[in-house]
Amino acid sequence: MTTSKTNPREPHSLPYYITDPTPLPSHIPSVPEIGATSAPLLSASYFIGARCAPYSEDFMLCRSQSRTGEMDCLKEGRRVTRCAISVLEDINKNCQNEFRKHWGCLENENHDLSRCRLDEAPLNACVAKFLSLTKVIPDSDGTPINDYETPSYFQKKVKAKYEQ
Amino acid sequence: MIPFEALLPYGVIIIMFGVAGTGMSAAKLLREGGNKPRVHRDAWDKMMMERDMRLTREYRKQSDEPIAPEDFKTSSVWRASRIWDD
Repeated sequence: MTTSKTNPREPHSLPYYITDPTPLPSHIPSVPEIGATSAPLLSASYFIGARCAPYSEDFMLCRSQSRTGEMDCLKEGRRVTRCAISVLEDINKNCQNEFRKHWGCLENENHDLSRCRLDEAPLNACVAKFLSLTKVIPDSDGTPINDYETPSYFQKKVKAKYEQ
Repeated sequence: MIPFEALLPYGVIIIMFGVAGTGMSAAKLLREGGNKPRVHRDAWDKMMMERDMRLTREYRKQSDEPIAPEDFKTSSVWRASRIWDD
């Protein structure tokens, strides 16, 4: 945006922080919020996607068709939140050590999933065994992630850790 | 044979670089809680890190609890700027 005589610059002012401690009105049913921070949420995201696919697709469809965005789709949003909380509870109950190693690695590596494959493989195996949720890349042909036909050296290492 | 006194300046330079590098690295690790610093932060990462701060009240501390504390629901902060109409 170039400023000129006919286009004076916009006024810059200091930011003004708005907080609102009033809770939601009582006619809206309350739902617990997800307490996971960014690294555990990224680690569990594919499993949340696998289990909560119908609810999240409902929510996205409702939001794209609605007039006001989220305000018309609070019910679908509550369902998504409850489903995600259930996935996180199950992972914490069954696979907590692998989960913590994986998101600890992610937190160290700038949240780059490709740098934490060695820790991701046992987590995928544990979750597939106990929760029967598999990680599937969306918009791909649906093959499981750790299933390589001609594995490279690194992929062989991942596979060895997978089948421990 | 080179006298050892001639190599002392090289030693001094190497030690100074080493101390500076170690000090920088240690300062960064202390700040980030034992992790490497976050780089290439985009708007999404900034938003998620601000949410993490609201949940755990410490810079880059993570929690994997399924359910958030009750005051998380009303602890959002929106940033606005004043517009003067004069």
